[in-house]
Amino acid sequence: MPLDAVTDTTTTAVRRILEVRDLKVRMGSQEILRGVSLDVREGSIVAVLGANGVGKTSLMRALSGIYRTTGGTTVFAGQDLTNSPSHAVVKLGLAQAPEGRQIFGTMTVRENLLLGGRVRSQDRAARMEAMLELFPRLRERLSQKAGSLSGGEQQMLCIARALMSKPRLLLLDEPSLGLAPMVVKQIFDLLVQIRSEGTSILLVEQNARAALRVADHAYVMEAGRVTLSGNAAELAADPRVQAAYLGG
Amino acid sequence: MIFDIFLLQQVINGLSIGFVYALMAIGFTLIFGVLNVVNFAHGEVYTIGAFIGLMVITALAPPLVAVVPLVLAAGALSGVGLERLAFRPFRRFTDEASQKSRAMREATLLSSLAVSIIAREIMMHLFGGDMQGVPSDYLLQRPVAIGPIMVATGSLVIFATSAVMLGALQFLLYRTQTGLGIRAVSNNQLGARYVGIDTDRTIVTTFAVGSMLGATAGILVGLYDGAISPHMGFAPGVKAFVAMVMGGLSSIPGAVACALLLGVSESIATEFLSSGWKDLITYSLLVITLVFFPQGIFGHGRERA
Repeated sequence: MPLDAVTDTTTTAVRRILEVRDLKVRMGSQEILRGVSLDVREGSIVAVLGANGVGKTSLMRALSGIYRTTGGTTVFAGQDLTNSPSHAVVKLGLAQAPEGRQIFGTMTVRENLLLGGRVRSQDRAARMEAMLELFPRLRERLSQKAGSLSGGEQQMLCIARALMSKPRLLLLDEPSLGLAPMVVKQIFDLLVQIRSEGTSILLVEQNARAALRVADHAYVMEAGRVTLSGNAAELAADPRVQAAYLGG
Repeated sequence: MIFDIFLLQQVINGLSIGFVYALMAIGFTLIFGVLNVVNFAHGEVYTIGAFIGLMVITALAPPLVAVVPLVLAAGALSGVGLERLAFRPFRRFTDEASQKSRAMREATLLSSLAVSIIAREIMMHLFGGDMQGVPSDYLLQRPVAIGPIMVATGSLVIFATSAVMLGALQFLLYRTQTGLGIRAVSNNQLGARYVGIDTDRTIVTTFAVGSMLGATAGILVGLYDGAISPHMGFAPGVKAFVAMVMGGLSSIPGAVACALLLGVSESIATEFLSSGWKDLITYSLLVITLVFFPQGIFGHGRERA
């Protein structure tokens, strides 16, 4: 079964929440992203796989408006997001649980969640309640300093904080990093639940096995480019992916 | 007994000086919190506050309570202007490497120093280098007897104003969305961007708030001492900086406590030493703190790049 092309032009009927075309990021003299194109269909989980240093995190930062791009376009829910500032991106409904979590360690769990919901303040209390339903561990820790949480709890807080803005697309950068396999499974199970509640997900992972288990579609990045893409089951069966990312 | 009352009086004087240092130190600490950079022009904001207050008084002769809001507004404006001139131009580079770079931080440090020198020279040009007298109606030197001790009205006004401003600051930081944003940017600027905070706007707000406190300190001292000059911001600026460092750089309660400690120590020291030596007290306390508490007395090992 051949892998479909990077730019899928056949299914215009399916709505795409995110369309990235030929995105480039340059840092000094180094081109970190050399023209990345990918799509996220509404209501799907898309994984971006790849080894350390191939530009996955740079891609995520560029999408969230943290890095300036030097070429290409990003269209999110029909709006051109290319080089929009980070605060505008979040407001439009694209939130990220970033690499390294970037939670507010000296502030309480409640304050972290409130900050996450800051761009949409109408039904913030109700959304906080929904997050505490989704992550019951956080309820016990509401008035603790976020920095005192365990790694897994911090990751949950980081995801909950992003979801507080009620995003249409959630970006996740290495949610499994540094976590015990049990916790990783727990978090990935939650992703399926989050999608079922109407949030599309774009996920960057080194843990290809865990990512392919929940993803609908996946891309493989090497040296700042997408080199393979296809639906997750096909990619998981592809010998090249198996050799490089699934340990043979 | 006589000695005790005298000492008590010195403590009260020291506290009022300490509160002035505290108002200044909070501005330093707030700005250092969001930017990780020392704002060397903070002393000039204090001076500007005093001069604007004096100009308002000589031109309009309003009641004292009306002077304060005008000085607050002037402080906020000068803070915003200062941020535009000396800080924002160096924030174009948002990638990690430049944000952590020492050179970038030192550039802003020097640009704030440059703005402070320019501001001082402009004030020298406009008002001359001499002390400007304060109209006697506005002087806050009338003694008030509280039991056996005599307190100048200036001390009381400083206490009251500081209490109100510290309370308002606490409310702002812990009870409002703006304050939540300021604390978030201080804690983790990258994290703040991920939750959709406009960090540039938060930084400008912080400058405005910090400079409001500094400018108010300036006019209060001007009316208390009865003299206003373009150089008046230097000494309290240095003292407030010392208080911030002693307090652990990013702790507002720490900065306030250390500012009060400095004020009281200086005031009591003038009992035993000639007043020319009082600065020695401040710097000795700084050295002792840095030797024995390198993180500051209230510091908690904030991460530095």
